[in-house]
Amino acid sequence: MINPIPPAFVFIIGAILIPIVRERRLRQLFQLLIPAIAFADLLYMGHGTYWSYHFLGYELIFGRVDKLSLCFGYVFVIIAFLGMFYALHVRDVGQHVAAFLYIGSALGITFAGDLFTLFAFWEIMAIASVFLIWFQRDTAALDAGFRYIMVHIFGGCVLLAGIIIHVVNTGSTHFGLIEYGGLASQLILLGFIINAAVPPLHAWLADAYPEATVTGAVFLSAFTTKSAVYVLLRAFPGVELLMWLGAIMAVYGVVYAIMENDIRRLLSYHIISQVGYMVCGVGIGTEMGLNGSVAHAFCHILYKALLFMGTGAVIHVTGRRKVTELQGRNLYKMMPICLSLYLIAGFSISGVPLFNGFVSKTMVVAAAGGIHSVPIHLLLHLASIGTFFSTTLKLPYGTWFGKAPEGEKIEEIEAKEPPSNMLIAMGLTAFLCIFIGCYPRVLYDILPYSVHYHPYASYHVAATMQLLLFTAAVFWLFIDKLGGHATISLDTDWFYRKPGMLLLWFCSHPLQRLRFGLQHLLSRMVANVAGLSKNPILLPEIAIRYIHLRIISRLYHISGLSEDKLEELRELESRYDAIRKITYDKDVYRRPIGFGVLLAVVLLFLYGLIYFIRSR
Amino acid sequence: MARTLRYILFISVGLSMLVGLFFRPEHPHFWWERVPASDAIFGFLGCILLVVGSKVLGHYWLQRDEDYYSD
Repeated sequence: MINPIPPAFVFIIGAILIPIVRERRLRQLFQLLIPAIAFADLLYMGHGTYWSYHFLGYELIFGRVDKLSLCFGYVFVIIAFLGMFYALHVRDVGQHVAAFLYIGSALGITFAGDLFTLFAFWEIMAIASVFLIWFQRDTAALDAGFRYIMVHIFGGCVLLAGIIIHVVNTGSTHFGLIEYGGLASQLILLGFIINAAVPPLHAWLADAYPEATVTGAVFLSAFTTKSAVYVLLRAFPGVELLMWLGAIMAVYGVVYAIMENDIRRLLSYHIISQVGYMVCGVGIGTEMGLNGSVAHAFCHILYKALLFMGTGAVIHVTGRRKVTELQGRNLYKMMPICLSLYLIAGFSISGVPLFNGFVSKTMVVAAAGGIHSVPIHLLLHLASIGTFFSTTLKLPYGTWFGKAPEGEKIEEIEAKEPPSNMLIAMGLTAFLCIFIGCYPRVLYDILPYSVHYHPYASYHVAATMQLLLFTAAVFWLFIDKLGGHATISLDTDWFYRKPGMLLLWFCSHPLQRLRFGLQHLLSRMVANVAGLSKNPILLPEIAIRYIHLRIISRLYHISGLSEDKLEELRELESRYDAIRKITYDKDVYRRPIGFGVLLAVVLLFLYGLIYFIRSR
Repeated sequence: MARTLRYILFISVGLSMLVGLFFRPEHPHFWWERVPASDAIFGFLGCILLVVGSKVLGHYWLQRDEDYYSD
């Protein structure tokens, strides 16, 4: 079988070609064509190992294809297409280039068969993705982007350290199951869970994603954390630590989301929460847990992109991003289609039956049941409640309906449905969410292990509905107390943001003073030396005369001055001044040396000539 | 609009209760799965716990002014 090109390179070459296509319509077509080509490429690939190259004595593998990598490959390419459709109206070519590089690197990670290839794509992903934040072009995005890239570069360094130790210890660069225990595996795991946004290393996500461009956030929500879940599935299945971290992060994200006022930051905390289910599934490590983790990643990418598309549309149309700025403006009258499509995503993430979250999330919860772990099971259930509460009830209520606090003056917002490409992309994504929810077989058939799980057992559906309906009942009871507050919540980024500001203060005050002091001192020294160096040849003589003058004048001052002694001092001083005034003619010294060198070169040439003639 | 929504909610609550009463899991993993409406109780109490918990956490500790980091 001939495979023309690894899927990662389809996108990377596409990224290079986009700026060349000047005609706008043609470029839009091209942007949709690239994911289509990549999808055809994926369908064409059979299981096995392709594109391996020898490099500096190591083997680089760009195509390790099996069920696990294919499953992630499919959903990455699908969301690349949908996200590109959503972003078609964007005229900023740079954003598309960054998005394609980002997608390409995520696919590169997915199909990497060795640790060096993995690391290379890992770094490309960090750098490409930060531009999706910076293209927002405001100060907040610039700052958040810098914090984002610094965390990821730190994570990349940790990963590289782990990889190097691993390669030295085992002698193999193969990327597969890594035995947990020992420094190498711990460093690699740490590198992975920084990208998976596991608390307390998660703050970069909620900090940076809400500052990204409207279309960039859709891509960001899909690739970084899910490729981290993929590498965890590949390298660390069944590590118990991950089970606990996952369950805790599922609830952690939910708690922060309830406090949040910025709508995309609220959803970002729900990424952390949902990735918690996947990490937990990896940690459980049974076939059900791993399948659940993959399935949930697949479904999560779809509905989370749709959530970001829906909120992005509101931000695109109104320019506002906070519940406190949106509530009470009755946006539901102006953008009902957008609201309906958002709600489909909300039902999906909450795991309402017939939507895709239900068929995947419950697999992880059932896997926790399968190992009879009470705390894990309860934590995951609690996270489900919180997810439904804030993404499907509180956020849409606050954004599209809601009541403004009494006494606040409500200025009318001009709003309408977003551009048609945004709506079509949202519609397609919503269709996939419902389709997978209704026909889970299409998803279950591509999972790494065979699935013997039936989500639509009557009891199971009823239990899920009870859980969600009574959550809704609580929302109904407290509805008047749940308006947004214009606040931010402290998170673990405090630990680098506040000390970071302290560091800045230290640099701009005490350190700056020290710098000025030193600079002043040194420049005076330099000025003195420069004065002396006007005539370097006479330097020893100037020094001798100066010392002589100083000693004599000191002695005369001690022994008492008389008229002739003063005369002598003046004489010495004038001689000293006279010698300092002699200007330095460099050619006097340079000419003899230059002449000598010239002579040597000429002689050498003659010698060479004679030697050359003689030797023939 | 609001009235139909309310009816739909009440009907689905009743329906889920009825179905939950008659169909029990064949191999329950935990003891509470044998108790009818256990998920409803968990949903209700869990949601109150989450909301009150995060409100308290936010109010007394975590929530700050929006320009907290900019001064």
